[in-house]
Amino acid sequence: MKILGISAFYHDAAAALTIDGLPVAAVQEERLSRSKNDPTFPMRAIEWCLDQAGLEPEALDAAIFYERPALKFDRVLMTLLRGFPQSWRIFPKAMKNMVGEKLWVRGIVSAQLGIPARRVHFTDHHLSHAAAAFLTAPTEEAAILTADGVGEWATLTVGQGSKRPGGPVDIRLLREVRFPHSLGLFYSAFTAWLGFPVNEGEYKVMGLAAYGAPRFADEVRRILRRTPDGAFSLDLGYFDYHRAVDAAYSRRFVDLFGPPRDRFEPIDPGTAQGRHYADVAASAQRVLEEVIVDIATAFRKETGLADLCLGGGVALNGVANARILREAGFERLFVPSAPGDAGCALGAALWADRILFGQPHRDCPDHPFWGPAVEPDDLARLAAEDGLAFERAAEADMIDNVADAIGRGAVVGWMEGAVEFGPRALGHRSILADPGDAAMRDRINRDIKFRESFRPFAPVVPVEQAATFFELPPGGARLGRFMSGVFPVRPEWRDRLRAVTHVDGTARVQVLEAAMAPRLHRLLGAYSRCHGIPVLLNTSFNIAGDPIVTSAAEGYSTFRRAGMDLLVADDVVVRRDRARQAQRMEVMA
Amino acid sequence: MTGWRVPIDRLVWADPRRRARKLLQFAEVEAQGARDLFRAAEMTDDPLLRRRLFAHARDEVRHAALFRARGLALRRMLADPGPEHGLGDGLIPGERGFDRLEVERESIAALLAFIHLSERAASQAFAAYGAVLDHDPETRAVIDRIARDEEGHMRYSRAELTRLAPDARRALWVARLRRFWRAYLRLALILADMISRLILTLLYFLLLPPFAWVAKRAARKEAAGWRDCPEHDRAEGRAGGGQY
Repeated sequence: MKILGISAFYHDAAAALTIDGLPVAAVQEERLSRSKNDPTFPMRAIEWCLDQAGLEPEALDAAIFYERPALKFDRVLMTLLRGFPQSWRIFPKAMKNMVGEKLWVRGIVSAQLGIPARRVHFTDHHLSHAAAAFLTAPTEEAAILTADGVGEWATLTVGQGSKRPGGPVDIRLLREVRFPHSLGLFYSAFTAWLGFPVNEGEYKVMGLAAYGAPRFADEVRRILRRTPDGAFSLDLGYFDYHRAVDAAYSRRFVDLFGPPRDRFEPIDPGTAQGRHYADVAASAQRVLEEVIVDIATAFRKETGLADLCLGGGVALNGVANARILREAGFERLFVPSAPGDAGCALGAALWADRILFGQPHRDCPDHPFWGPAVEPDDLARLAAEDGLAFERAAEADMIDNVADAIGRGAVVGWMEGAVEFGPRALGHRSILADPGDAAMRDRINRDIKFRESFRPFAPVVPVEQAATFFELPPGGARLGRFMSGVFPVRPEWRDRLRAVTHVDGTARVQVLEAAMAPRLHRLLGAYSRCHGIPVLLNTSFNIAGDPIVTSAAEGYSTFRRAGMDLLVADDVVVRRDRARQAQRMEVMA
Repeated sequence: MTGWRVPIDRLVWADPRRRARKLLQFAEVEAQGARDLFRAAEMTDDPLLRRRLFAHARDEVRHAALFRARGLALRRMLADPGPEHGLGDGLIPGERGFDRLEVERESIAALLAFIHLSERAASQAFAAYGAVLDHDPETRAVIDRIARDEEGHMRYSRAELTRLAPDARRALWVARLRRFWRAYLRLALILADMISRLILTLLYFLLLPPFAWVAKRAARKEAAGWRDCPEHDRAEGRAGGGQY
């Protein structure tokens, strides 16, 4: 069967195509529209997926949307009614939002694709998350936990799934916590209070938390309370997201934690003010971890299952994931490369194939590279036209040269094959650099990524040597496959891994298996032979505010804007020639 | 300078809080403009145009930094900088990107004509702003400097339009008409938004109270914590993938 999965209209829209039960293409709309977290109907992504498979829309057996719009409308309307009369400001906006577009998804999909409406299906938001986590994981039976801001009504679910190749699939969500009680929205309120954009700045809260001490944990526990049945509830007096247009937290929240950060002023954790923000971030992070670890621990005892599949936006919190792995009792923890809403496009398509249409299970390839491939010829052409030095080299030579350049302090834009599906650069659209020099971290933050100085960078290490450098618990290598866990750097290596060791001695490490990205694996080997450690700094190939690059032209543009030293697209290597470029720019001016 | 706007500009730029806010808004607009221009540079096949668009985009990045630095400096001088949500991009809800070109879908001629007219409008606006900023020479210096750059952008985009488009004049007229049409649509959308807000707010207070009472009563009975997932049959596909 040919099934198109679609997620859209909230944030980070995406499309994914499965044929006969296997993914063949998946890409976020932002990677093609170049508008970060693009929530619009993902027409470009859909067109690319269909082109990739050589299909016309009429050939699709089904298109499936990742949530149920009418149920979502039910939640929105009910929330407005419950918030009467304070919800009067949000009512017009919410109604226009839902009735204007989001409620008519069947018609939109049908009209845009030109397929009959009866071929358009829907599934639950959290089932999409669950399917994305469970059906792509190499396990036959697992507990499932999904947590995010909100879907239709659910904000967190627990369930379990079973499958075997050629056999039937069962995914059963057992219990849920409902809106407005939400771990995702709880964390987003702190994100907003800290002056970061919601649905985008949550990484920053996690990074900032490492600078602080959780001295407000008791206050946060007053906001995020445990219920006697082991779930949680929010004290809604501290939040406004359920009744205001532009506020996530309320006056009481401000009374408790102080005035929100002015988003125009930089955070300096070295100042008293900066420490305060870091302490609040650390407290929110700590309490979030406590709750989710506790829920996972109880569920492990209840199910007795060895594996846990984790989905939803909260699964992007690598610190919490690592704690679940260490403390909840599961042997393995699977987080897909796209646990957020974008990944729901793939999850929904797989759910439709296995469960809606009852097709037998097929194991999915265990990699994240489902997007458009880079065209090295395009890079060669662009470089030639701009008079930049480039070369086409045999792979071994190229890898040796790049390893050598990184060792001499070069920052390398690395593009290879198909783009990753999900928010992490996992070796196909990465900026790579020397992991040992703290000045390198500052240079990349300041001059290349144009982002806050407190934000850490991730390392990539071959699976064979990961335990030498990082304190990985059992199952840690698996969690690090898609950069989903934060683990301590071994103390004896911290000095040599300064650019990737966060202030608390940890790193969000990518543990790389050769089969997943063989060229990057070989580059790590070459770097190790030259410089003694098989670790590189690996950060996403983009500039702050932009999506990760997709095409050679975008990589080339970012390479020039960011002042990187080397750009690699498969076998084409472009070197930066500062003098020549400066001269050309002068001519232009 | 257009004489009729002087009193308005003077009023707008007299207040330091509004001045800071305007500069920070300009910074956001310039930064977004830079992204569009970098995108245009990525899309074009003409090497010379690519380099020029790239240089232009770099200018916009620099302008964004200048506006931001000056806006922040002014903001820091204020006892109360005011609410942050006043710093939006001035677009109405759902209008994101409305005024911008969709770079990938435009011809080179349309793109260059759009750039030329936008830069001309910006150059004139900045000249007008600079003329009413005698009381703030630092802000005036920033705006004057950027206005000069905009004139340069005007010239290069016109030259490129002549070089690359067989009928540059026609492209400019089409772009002018499109700008006019967009301005009309923008006004119409703002008006429609206001009317719909009014109607929906009236409906809210007239129709919702009894339903709200029932909903609140039901909410009071709901306990927090775990709830059984409503319909397991959905998980098994028997609901047929419906919207509900």
